[in-house]
Amino acid sequence: MNCEVCQLKELEVEHFEIREVLRCILHTIFFHRALGLVRPKDIDLELFEITYVQCGDMELERKIDEKIDQFIDKVEKHPNKKNQICLSFYEVKNKQATWFSNKVERLHWEQWYINLNVTQNPKGHSGKSHLPKVEVNPGDTAAEARRARRTALECSLRDILFQIIRFVNEKRDHVPPIPNLDGVSFPYEITISSSSDSAFGMDMFKRMLQTGHPTMLS
Amino acid sequence: MASSHGNTHSEPAKMEQIITEFFAKSLHIILESRSPYVSSRNNYSGEQVLSSPSPSSSPSSSSFKPRDKWFNLALRDCPAALENIDFWRQSNLEPMIVDVILMQRPNDWDPSSFSPKRGLARNSSGKERYYYGSDNDECGCEAKNEKIIERWVLQYESKKSSGNGGGSSGSKRSSSTSSHALYKKSILLLRSLYATVRLLPAYKLFRDLISSAQIRLYNLGHRVSSFVEPFTHREEADMQRFVFTPVDTSCGRLCLSVLYRSSVLDVSSEPSTPISPQIIPEYVGSPMAEPLKRFPSVPVSQSSPSSSPFGRRHSWSYDLYRASPPSMNPSPSPTYSESHASLSKQRSHRLPPAGLPRHLHDETPAAHMKNPSYDEYSPSPVFSPSPSPSPPPPTYVSGGNITKALLRSESAPVSIPASRLSSMPSLPNNQLMLPSPPMKGTRFTVSKHAAHPGLHQTSSTVDKLFSFSKDEPGKMLGVKPSTNSSPSKSFSRSSSRLSFQDDYDDSEFSGPFIVDEDDMVDPGSRPGSFDLPGHSSIPHEPGGIFPVKKSQDAAVGALVHMLKKAPPLRQDISVTTQLPQGSKLHTLRSCMQDTNETSEEPTSNLSSSGLIASKTTADALEELRGYREMKDLLIMQSKISQA
Repeated sequence: MNCEVCQLKELEVEHFEIREVLRCILHTIFFHRALGLVRPKDIDLELFEITYVQCGDMELERKIDEKIDQFIDKVEKHPNKKNQICLSFYEVKNKQATWFSNKVERLHWEQWYINLNVTQNPKGHSGKSHLPKVEVNPGDTAAEARRARRTALECSLRDILFQIIRFVNEKRDHVPPIPNLDGVSFPYEITISSSSDSAFGMDMFKRMLQTGHPTMLS
Repeated sequence: MASSHGNTHSEPAKMEQIITEFFAKSLHIILESRSPYVSSRNNYSGEQVLSSPSPSSSPSSSSFKPRDKWFNLALRDCPAALENIDFWRQSNLEPMIVDVILMQRPNDWDPSSFSPKRGLARNSSGKERYYYGSDNDECGCEAKNEKIIERWVLQYESKKSSGNGGGSSGSKRSSSTSSHALYKKSILLLRSLYATVRLLPAYKLFRDLISSAQIRLYNLGHRVSSFVEPFTHREEADMQRFVFTPVDTSCGRLCLSVLYRSSVLDVSSEPSTPISPQIIPEYVGSPMAEPLKRFPSVPVSQSSPSSSPFGRRHSWSYDLYRASPPSMNPSPSPTYSESHASLSKQRSHRLPPAGLPRHLHDETPAAHMKNPSYDEYSPSPVFSPSPSPSPPPPTYVSGGNITKALLRSESAPVSIPASRLSSMPSLPNNQLMLPSPPMKGTRFTVSKHAAHPGLHQTSSTVDKLFSFSKDEPGKMLGVKPSTNSSPSKSFSRSSSRLSFQDDYDDSEFSGPFIVDEDDMVDPGSRPGSFDLPGHSSIPHEPGGIFPVKKSQDAAVGALVHMLKKAPPLRQDISVTTQLPQGSKLHTLRSCMQDTNETSEEPTSNLSSSGLIASKTTADALEELRGYREMKDLLIMQSKISQA
């Protein structure tokens, strides 16, 4: 089976933005892949003028938050690294053992890579710390800069959401038949990696082997 | 899944069904997040207590309606969509074009002209519907600023014959897989549509419109049709296009695209207008307030006693000047909206009287020109009673949930306006020819009249009666309550309202009704007190849900206003405010006259008051008889007193 891969554009986020940004992206992807019966929920982001859609599955929400916690943990432990979250959808096949010899095989049919670059020393903060010493002006510019940055991030985030939508529009044929009416219809996994992890390359490699021929980078 | 449609159907039939449902679902998705009359967001999470969503729509655990199962996507109720789609279904997979229209209001717009209403119209072929969020589009008294900010085009391009699946695809080998594939791809496409509508700039407008208590100087409307004038190049240059990848089927493909204006945002940033006294009057007519008007619908449908307070809210909030269209045409047929539109047009001219009386006449034509499509229909109010295929009672029952809801939603406001309208013919005459001031009697009779479908033929009688009653306003009024008690609350309400209105003409009479009016207003119409009870009752009445939902926000907004104790919301809220407005009233009347001229036969309007809907002809006759008796009595009395 074909495995489609979508590399989402990199986002530069501040620490406090991670959660919301990731939620937004992950839920949006899930909404497009939870093909069972769902009752969508609109969520307005607090930091940005963006509304995204959840598929209204509590369990999924919990899992996503869990993964985001892990991700934030990781970011805190290994600052200065580019971090990546991979969401993949697969089918379980009880096929015969190939030479990889897994009885139960996960056939990945789609992978999404979310690339976050967490900035450690946001300009906004430095502006704040200087605030006592310096007069109003620098503070203003800092706020200005923060606002500009925020706006830029909002745009990028919106772009990413459109990227997701375009992707799911263009790639429809590889989506397996909908197995059931559960909202979250396909099995999935979320993995976290950071670029400097030596494991990362290995992980990618394994996955490529497992899933056959990834069509790289959409 | 494809399993949701039975195996019994042939493959082409299945495909056709999927396609049809796809259109319906798409429209639903679009309008759900563009038509401010449906609060698609009120119930999206439990955190909004006020909006306590109906059980059917909020908890995800709740049972899904059959409609929800299509494409595995459960949506909130959206009357606008349901109604339009019913319409579209009759057309044979024609293209569906949904225009989302941004209507901006000038800063100095006249409040009353803005009293939101929903006009929907169709042309005779039934393929086009206009569904406006507010009537400002027909209002000629302001520089109207209306532009299409989104155009959704939904189309099934069939390779062969018309897409009605005439069995031609039976030859296809893998036909069974193709319907499954079609279904799956449709699901995928609809998901992205769902997400996309929320990412486009117009969504922000919609969200602000329904979720904030602030007054917005714009509103959103929409128009569903199968044919539209293409944009000019210049217009199109301002727009961006997003094309969803078409879904191929064995005999054609489903195409969906949107043309949208990316620069809508300048509007949304400006409109958060600070609440100033100048603007406050608008609030009543603001989009947020609109839902309130529809509250009455809920009680009506439940026929609960609470209906009277609800109904009242109406009356003060917006009908005073309103010749409400629905009243004219109780029939569920789309035409009635038309009447709505044309009337409101006139009304709006009429309304601005204070500042802009001179505009009245100049602008009417302009308005018409701007809305040519409406022009054709403008006479419809007059004639509507006759063409409307179904008489009031059947109407009420017949049109499924949707129509019912619509009907209901409008019925309450209707009744009052109807009487108002009906009174217009006579009013202006009196005003202009016989300066004799007291109109109460007149109105009284008129409103009575309005409540009775059977009455129109008796207009002459009414007139007579009317001339008598003029002399005896007090008596007439006194009679009223008892008489009206049976027919309907709204009826009596309307009459009291009328008498209320009279007060400025006739200062000698400040009867109990004024007080009554105020009292009534308080319990029911105060938004604050209103929401909770309203909502608690709503969930049980599935049909009546939509009108109410959205009004939460409106109610909150209203509450804020109340709390601020700003100057009177509107002239008609309290007597005191109104008194100084005698001059306005005059203008109003002359405007009303205009209306009459347009609607040649006032009586026809009368006949179709929304109230009637629930009555049978027999009832009406019965009441008519009663009224005749009463009339005779009154005449006698007046003779005596004159003597």
